[in-house]
Amino acid sequence: MSAYMTGIIIILCLNIIIAYSVFLPAAAGQLNLGAAGFMIIGAYMDAYLSSADEGLGLPIALTIPAAALFTGLIGFLMSFPILRTKGVYMILATFAFAEIVAGIVLNMEVVGGASGFPVTTHTELEVLLPVTVGVVLFGFYLISTRFGLSMRSIHDDESVSLLFGVNTHLVKVGAFTIGAVLGGLAGALYGHQFDYIEVQNWGILFSIYVLLYVLIGGTQTPWGPLVGAMFFTFIPEILRAVGDATGIELFTELRFAAFGVIIVGMMVLRPEGIMTRTFLELLFRKSTPKSDIKLS
Amino acid sequence: MLILQQIVNGLMLGSVYVMVAVAFTLTIGMLNFLNFTIPALFMVSAMITWAATAAGFHWLVAATFGMIVAILASLVIERFTYRYMKAKYGDATEHALPLVSSLGFLIIFEHVVIMIWGTDPMTFNSPFAHAKFEISGIIFGIPQLISLALSLVLVFGLSLLLKKTQLGRALRSIAEKPDTATLMGVDVGKIVPVVFVMTGFLCALAGILFTVNYQHVSPYIGDHVATNAIAGMVIGGLGNIWGAIAGGLLIGMVEVLSIHFWGADIIKVPVWTLMLLILVFRPAGLFGHTQIGKGKF
Amino acid sequence: MLNLRSVEKSFGGLKVIDNVSFSVKKGSRTALIGPNGAGKTTIFNLLSGIYEVDNGSISLDNNDITQIPARKRIDIGMSRSFQNIRLMPHLSTIENVMLGQHHLANSARENFFPLGLIKSNKWAKLAEQSLIEAGLGTYPGQVVSELPYGIQKRIEVVRALVSNPKLLLLDEPAAGLNSSETAELQILLEKASSTGTTLLVVEHDMNFVRNLCQHVVVLNFGRKIFEGTPDEVSKDPQVLEAYLGGDDNNAS
Repeated sequence: MSAYMTGIIIILCLNIIIAYSVFLPAAAGQLNLGAAGFMIIGAYMDAYLSSADEGLGLPIALTIPAAALFTGLIGFLMSFPILRTKGVYMILATFAFAEIVAGIVLNMEVVGGASGFPVTTHTELEVLLPVTVGVVLFGFYLISTRFGLSMRSIHDDESVSLLFGVNTHLVKVGAFTIGAVLGGLAGALYGHQFDYIEVQNWGILFSIYVLLYVLIGGTQTPWGPLVGAMFFTFIPEILRAVGDATGIELFTELRFAAFGVIIVGMMVLRPEGIMTRTFLELLFRKSTPKSDIKLS
Repeated sequence: MLILQQIVNGLMLGSVYVMVAVAFTLTIGMLNFLNFTIPALFMVSAMITWAATAAGFHWLVAATFGMIVAILASLVIERFTYRYMKAKYGDATEHALPLVSSLGFLIIFEHVVIMIWGTDPMTFNSPFAHAKFEISGIIFGIPQLISLALSLVLVFGLSLLLKKTQLGRALRSIAEKPDTATLMGVDVGKIVPVVFVMTGFLCALAGILFTVNYQHVSPYIGDHVATNAIAGMVIGGLGNIWGAIAGGLLIGMVEVLSIHFWGADIIKVPVWTLMLLILVFRPAGLFGHTQIGKGKF
Repeated sequence: MLNLRSVEKSFGGLKVIDNVSFSVKKGSRTALIGPNGAGKTTIFNLLSGIYEVDNGSISLDNNDITQIPARKRIDIGMSRSFQNIRLMPHLSTIENVMLGQHHLANSARENFFPLGLIKSNKWAKLAEQSLIEAGLGTYPGQVVSELPYGIQKRIEVVRALVSNPKLLLLDEPAAGLNSSETAELQILLEKASSTGTTLLVVEHDMNFVRNLCQHVVVLNFGRKIFEGTPDEVSKDPQVLEAYLGGDDNNAS
């Protein structure tokens, strides 16, 4: 595999994991614009635990899960204040959370502050790829459970879910916390791929992109974050390739702007995301065709 | 003296935040829509003002270009975010759609500007670079003073407009009861673009004044200003114009003072912790007032 | 079984439920009728715990339930449907019905069993069975928002039924249904009633009420104005006045 392809697959894997992190609360109707915060916590926790020079030098088999769980703990604690908010307020609250995390880490000299922190244990795809597959499978599993059903019910109608005995608060805390674990996992894995981490990588724009993966992919099914992350990773590369192949530089230069156009266009054509329930039904139809139903 | 000078500088910077914060708070208050194209409109008007001046136009002509482009862009944005959604679902609060579309526009504008002018910060040769006066040792930049006055007058006028005029009543009826506004004879399809024109106007003015005052532009200036303006809006309470003014000025002062005394980074943590606490425990803002943004987006 | 004693509720100083008392006998089918704005849906919201009672008390099987939170009321055997369809629009028919089973399956093990991956689990079978019994077996995998109104309306009743309620609250279950759909709904409700479920129905369609219910409670302006059999109700001058005085002539 060429270095170029490997590079794209690494980015794709990390994008997929962080997309599931934001997808889980979104599937329960909670929009999280703080993906950067989880990513930073996971990345720095793991780097500090595993780095041989300036950290503790622990093995990554230990540090990656520890970083993910630690991020989950922070997410769990933060979910209580954050889930008191709704809608625009929640978007802003999660954004504030990410800014607080970035601010704290920037001022922590023990992890290098603004100059970043080296990660000494390098891994290739042998760790990242299986973990990504695991995360995707986990996403599909979780949505298929009654817990996942409760999440999706809350997304559609929280007060009716409550009347049917769903502990809506607990489910929302759960979805947010599991999301935090996955976010921390993505952060931890990032460090071992790129060998160096700095807070500046994870600003507001990062959180925006992750939220876009999820909303463009669709929040109704576990296919959403997978397709959304792939869409966002491949489209710029495809546009670049088209630019290179045709020799029209405009494609290469315009690829991010074109990307914005595609986002706006997607919202016009598929406002509920690419992967909706009805779209999946079309793909894997087993039951009677629709026309029969209209007759009854 | 030094502190007073910093407070003056902070108020000047704050006046830019005020305009952007009011733009945010208007769209949230009126339409329940967190408009992420605001940083892009700010940046585009600043870049065009700089580029047209660099191309030899008088700075006023350049600023007019910036203003017109921002307002037209805002109307295009209205067409593809709010209005489209309204037509399709009848209720803008139900879907994240306008939010996503506005993020799409943010990406488009930033990258088109980068494509044309690159990512390097540019210097704007202000015609007023040396226009300043001194009162007992405190330096007042004249353009900054003008922009502070202008932003306050404008926002004051805006809130009068909302209170006293027919247009203002129509806008408030949309904010309070979007479903019945139509029944009360308000043409929602005509009124909503007004909000977007106001947004474009405020952002463009802020962008132009920022360019003239601080004499540098880059494709990324919008992000920093918008982030601080959002903080100012939250402090003042979502949907509250007077809150946005106070919050914007406060954030400007806190930023300038803290950079002066402690350096740039440390202040982020207390400011954003305060934000989070306000959002969670006092969503109406520090000064407590009726907030408008209630529903989902 | 269900007892309301001097229940009162105000919104912003306006008394919408004023000193309402009535009882629903175990196993009975009771209708709650009245002109628009009489407070029928408010009574349902008080019964299901969405609103808190200002004054008075509600008891079920001689236990005071006035203070029980909305989420727990399904555990004590109360389930309801809604005037406007409140199905989960992005879930399939069978998933909506499975939501109705939620409180029966509320253990950690059940919550994390992959229902959607192992299709032949007992909950899916139960849900499918209930749908077939209700004559809705054709659409288990369909996303409900795509189904016709009359079918959605009946799915809502099935969803409420699968929670095995002692008391089923139905808010205008027949509204918007055509005559054959209404007939099917009636069969479904009679079947539920025959297995011991108590029914309390808000309904405008007086023919439906007459066919289904033995007992009728009439509300007007938040007060109970009459209580009796369907025949007595249609002869009572106060009730007639309430309906003719108002703008609602559905009580034929």
